[in-house]
Amino acid sequence: MTALAAGDRRRSLAPLLLLPAAVLVLAVLGMPLLTLFRYSFNRFVPGQLMVEAVTWDNYARFFQDPYFLNVLWTTVQVAILCTVLSVILAFPVAYFLARTQSRFKSLLIILTVFPLLVGNVVRAAGWMALLGNQGFVNAVLIWLGLTQQPVKILYTPAAVVIGIIAVVLPYMILTLQSVIESIDRSVEEAAANLGARPLTVFRRIILPLSLPGVLAGTVLVGILCMNAYATPVLLGGSQFKMMAPALYDQVARASNWPFGAALAFVLKVATVLLTLASTLALKRRTTRD
Amino acid sequence: MRHSLTRRQLLASTGLAAGGLALTASGVGAQSLSCSDVNVGTWGGDYQDLLIANFEKRVLGGLKVEVAHDVANAPPRKTKLVTERTARRGTMDVALLSESDMYEVYKAGVFEELDYSKLKNGANIIPALRRSYSIPHIYSGKIILYNPNKVSPAPTSYADLWDPKYKGRVGFADGLYIQIIESAAIINGGSVTNLEPGKAKLAELKKLDAKVYPSNEALAAALKSEEVWFTIMWRARGVQWRNAGIPVALAVPKEGATPIIFEAAIPKNAPNKDCAYAYLDAMLDPQGQAGFAAKMGYVPTVTNATLDAKLTADLSFTADEQKKFILPDLEYVAKNNASLLDWWNREFKG
Repeated sequence: MTALAAGDRRRSLAPLLLLPAAVLVLAVLGMPLLTLFRYSFNRFVPGQLMVEAVTWDNYARFFQDPYFLNVLWTTVQVAILCTVLSVILAFPVAYFLARTQSRFKSLLIILTVFPLLVGNVVRAAGWMALLGNQGFVNAVLIWLGLTQQPVKILYTPAAVVIGIIAVVLPYMILTLQSVIESIDRSVEEAAANLGARPLTVFRRIILPLSLPGVLAGTVLVGILCMNAYATPVLLGGSQFKMMAPALYDQVARASNWPFGAALAFVLKVATVLLTLASTLALKRRTTRD
Repeated sequence: MRHSLTRRQLLASTGLAAGGLALTASGVGAQSLSCSDVNVGTWGGDYQDLLIANFEKRVLGGLKVEVAHDVANAPPRKTKLVTERTARRGTMDVALLSESDMYEVYKAGVFEELDYSKLKNGANIIPALRRSYSIPHIYSGKIILYNPNKVSPAPTSYADLWDPKYKGRVGFADGLYIQIIESAAIINGGSVTNLEPGKAKLAELKKLDAKVYPSNEALAAALKSEEVWFTIMWRARGVQWRNAGIPVALAVPKEGATPIIFEAAIPKNAPNKDCAYAYLDAMLDPQGQAGFAAKMGYVPTVTNATLDAKLTADLSFTADEQKKFILPDLEYVAKNNASLLDWWNREFKG
């Protein structure tokens, strides 16, 4: 009886363990976000940085300006394209990693994580060396005689998509691998035993059962893509604008904190909406299957 | 308060820079300080290493002042300074910034007016570079860089970049948008208080397929691969690039070079002001100035520091060139920076 009471007490105290982390998140994330949200209603007066006010002007400017709407649309397009491509590219690798019996499996997983040990900027610098006019890719194309003049790859949207996918692919592979590993292999074997072709097994068994992993990976990768900064700046060139570089421009170069804060919240809301939309779409698919 | 640098002041004062190198130690040695630490907001890399080697070890070491570095690029440093301005106690004792950034942050009420009586080396500052709220640390000037293997004859004016025979061979660094607009304005009837004519002139250059690179490094790579042959850049960086084997030669435009000054100031809420003044004074030490400037490719800002003949030829501006210096109007830049950046992003780059 006494032991039970002690157990109850311990359980009732358990939520308190969340307190330090909750306070920390509130202090270092919640409060600055609230401050930034307040800034987004201030007014920018050139030469004075920021003037206290309560105005919707910054949000109105964003939604009335085709330039910034286009920046948001570019960001959404790049994020969706990179997320979809990373699911397609990651799935076979994740499936192989989940099912392999190789004694090198741990090594292969470490190799997958390996790119994450290098910062985005360093990776982008590597891509610059590969994709530039004098880079490795163009040198090979010219050597093979496929082109006489270098093909412009660096400073194009294609370079940004390649660079972002390279950044997010390990996250997608690891997320999918852990979910595929939890799918009992005998389910696939049973389907095959009943005459299902490999493609049918994939379509009817593996894909539906791995949808929770696809969902988690899509959310994780989608958020990273929406907020990409270094890759679009370094590989997209100065003409290519996504939201994170655009808001950096406002805060750091134009010193327009109120508009920069408004851009930050537009980006945040757009990211949340896209995340919700993809979650709902994939959940509906799971329920239907 | 608005500082004002007139061409005459600068000319009169820079002439004094021909004076010999004073080997006397910094005057702060005699001071007894009420503090033992100083936190310096600075760039990292070479900049930080040279601060340590030329000022901190040599001058401040004798004063037993411990230096901590708050290393960041200028935008986060500006943001931190402005965010902390209402705090009773700030975190930075000394902040280093370029002149336009410094002015902008000063206008936000961050920096204190300097008490020059606490700066023994302050009297040696080139008077035209002296501000009420900051000391000049190093300076250089904006000039034309061109590829001597491809461009002939050598350019003499910013207008040479608009020559149709160099179509597609002019490239700029994105970060220098104000300087590029200023150069275009100067050859199109504009002035430092009216950069608007630069827009029409740059629209012409856009039709000639001018390129904009996202960073100085990307521009350097394009110059090295001879993808572009022309740019507008700081002389200091031009010399660094030339020394690194990039095919560039330097040309001071007949319209005049525009100086860029890097400065140091003390926030009003600096916790260790005595040490901050000692640090600023150390930064004006003539030997340290010469050592720092030579390594960074910049020119000293005190009249009693001199460079050797080769460095002077590479880095310094002649008396005639100094006469023609175009001094930016920092108030105009602060008020028009956002709209000029907007135009640059949408119209020129877009």
